[in-house]
This record gives sequence, C-alpha cells and structure tokens, in this order.
Amino acid sequence: MSSMVYLMCSLPSLTYGQVPPISLDEFNADAQKQLSKKHFKALEAVDIRQMDGQTKDLSKKSIRDMLSEVQEDLLEIRKARSENRQPKLERLSNVAIAANPLEREKQIMQSQWEELSSIEAGKTFTLTEVMVYKLKLQILSRVHSFNAEQGAQVLASVVDPSIKDED
Amino acid sequence: MANLKIRYTKTERARQKKILKVSERMLPLFEAMEKSLMATINSIAERIEEIREEIEKNSKAAEPWIAVMSDSWVNIDQFISVNEIITKPIDVAGVRVQQFEKVDFNVMPVDGATPLWVDDAIELMQEQLQLRAEIKCLEEQIELLEEELLDVRARIKLFENRRIPNAKIAIRKIGQKLQDDERLTIATAKVVKTSRQKEESV
Repeated sequence: MSSMVYLMCSLPSLTYGQVPPISLDEFNADAQKQLSKKHFKALEAVDIRQMDGQTKDLSKKSIRDMLSEVQEDLLEIRKARSENRQPKLERLSNVAIAANPLEREKQIMQSQWEELSSIEAGKTFTLTEVMVYKLKLQILSRVHSFNAEQGAQVLASVVDPSIKDED
Repeated sequence: MANLKIRYTKTERARQKKILKVSERMLPLFEAMEKSLMATINSIAERIEEIREEIEKNSKAAEPWIAVMSDSWVNIDQFISVNEIITKPIDVAGVRVQQFEKVDFNVMPVDGATPLWVDDAIELMQEQLQLRAEIKCLEEQIELLEEELLDVRARIKLFENRRIPNAKIAIRKIGQKLQDDERLTIATAKVVKTSRQKEESV
C-alpha cells in the first residue's frame, strides 16, 4: 500500500489533451520499482487496445467491459457501413461517429477517458488508480502522436512509394 | 541530290513516276496520322491533368484528418499494398497501348481492435493509388505514341524532302536526256540523209 501511495504521489497529474508529462517507459520503470511483482504483472496486462481474460476485480472488470463495448461499437459501425444502415451503438454517440476520422478518434478517446475517470473515482492509492493512470497515459501518448505533417508523410509513403524509396 | 544516280531510260522514268505517284498519295496519309497522334497525345495529357486535380482534391479533403495517420498504434502500410495493376491492350491512333482497368489490392482485414480511421485511410489510399496507377498507364501510352509520332514525322520529312523532290528531278532529267537523245537521233538521220542525197546527185 505504501509503495502504491509513493508511486501515485510521485507521478504527475494527467489532463486530457495535454502533452504526456512522462513517457510510458518511464511510467513502467517507476511502477516496476515501486510495485510488488504481483501488482506489476497485473498492471502489465492492462492495455487500452486490448484487455482479455476473466477477473473478479470489479474495477478491472469495468475497464475491460468499457473497452470491449467500444470495440463492439466499432464492429457494429463497420457492419452498418457495409449494410448501408445506421449503427446501433451501446457506448459511442452517433454525433461522434459522424465527425471526421481524426475528431472521431479523439472523441472516442475522450469518452474512454471520462469513463476511466468515473471508474477510478474513490479508488485513491489502489491498483485500480495505477491501472487507470497507465490507460490514461496511453490515451495521451496516442493523442499526442497525431501530427498533420507526419500523417501527410505516412499517406505519401503509401500512395507514392517512390517517396519511401528516396528516404 | 548530288549523289543521285539516274539511269536515263524510259523504264526508269516510268519507275520514278510511280514512286512520285505513291509518295504523293502517302504523304497526306502520314500528315493525317501525325495530326491524329498529336490530338490523341494532347487528350491523354489533358486526362492526366484531370486525374492530378482529382488526386489534389482528395488530398485537400483529407487534410483536416491527415494527422490521425501518424497514429502511434497503427502502421497503416501493413494494411494495404498493391498486388497488381490490371491493364488491357487497345489500339490508340493505330498504336497498341495498355489501357488501365483497375488495381488489385492486398488489403489486410481489420478487427475490432483496429481504430476506425484505418477504414477511411484504406479507402482514401485505394482511391489515390488507383488514380496514380491510371496516370502511370497514360504516361506510358504517351511515351509509345510519341515514339510513333517521331517515326511518322521522319517519314513525312523523307517524302517531303527526298522522295518527292528526287523523283521529280529524276523525271525531269530523264525527260530532258531522252529528248536530247531523240533530237540527236533526228539530227543524225537528217545529216545521213543529206549526205546520201549529195552522193546520189554527184
């Protein structure tokens, strides 16, 4: 418990949209130093992109359910597109889906951020708070990776392979 | 022209007349072919310009969301690649060229964990790759047509500057020579006749 307190107190606070104050590698290194092996292993299994496996921990279950519901919504959106109909969504809003691809990703991540905030409410200095911190840091890192200039380079390297060859 | 060797015979004159006739008949055909090739090349160049504008329009439309393509979670070039550009042979202005049909893509299936923007990016990339492949085909068509145009222009020059003038000169020279020979024959005959008459009167 004390190591959890020490870890959480040493980490900078996170706000949606900000530049990540620490990198994921730095966070993992700190967490490995401060947490027990069991807790660190549990933390390693947490990933915003995919969370599998059964759990009795309610908070972990909430996180897993939230992520799987978002994925189900994405599958439903894809299915609806192929069938040319309106998607029936559980978690995501139709307004968010109507936005351009960049805004849509940002809105999906913001809704995940808000959900994570409600999951960690009242769980100060617990493993849930550390897990949520990691997930939020992943979200920030991802949002920060969106860059128009680099995005244009990625597009150009695919549609014009000669650019890639020059590099 | 200086090296032009002429055989001063009626047969050669007939042959040169035939060459002139054929050349004068072929020249307008080659000129028409030149015009047709130039018009085709111009229309292909216009089409290339239209496609370039379309590519630019697509890029502009994607500008507001292009940043998402640098997503640290996704390596988009793993999702799409060109398998084959499918073309079919056609004749354009008498030249066999390859016409663009479609691009066969290798598209990796997306799963639930794949961000939604990947679908939009694949769609955009397919569109841009198709358009670029069409430009490539059209540029190759222009290359072949330009080669043919050079060939046709060389033929026109050959007819205009060598074959037709040479045949005309040959016909004129042979005509003059044959006329001179005829006059000489007549004159000789007259001289012979006069000398015979003189001999008889003596």
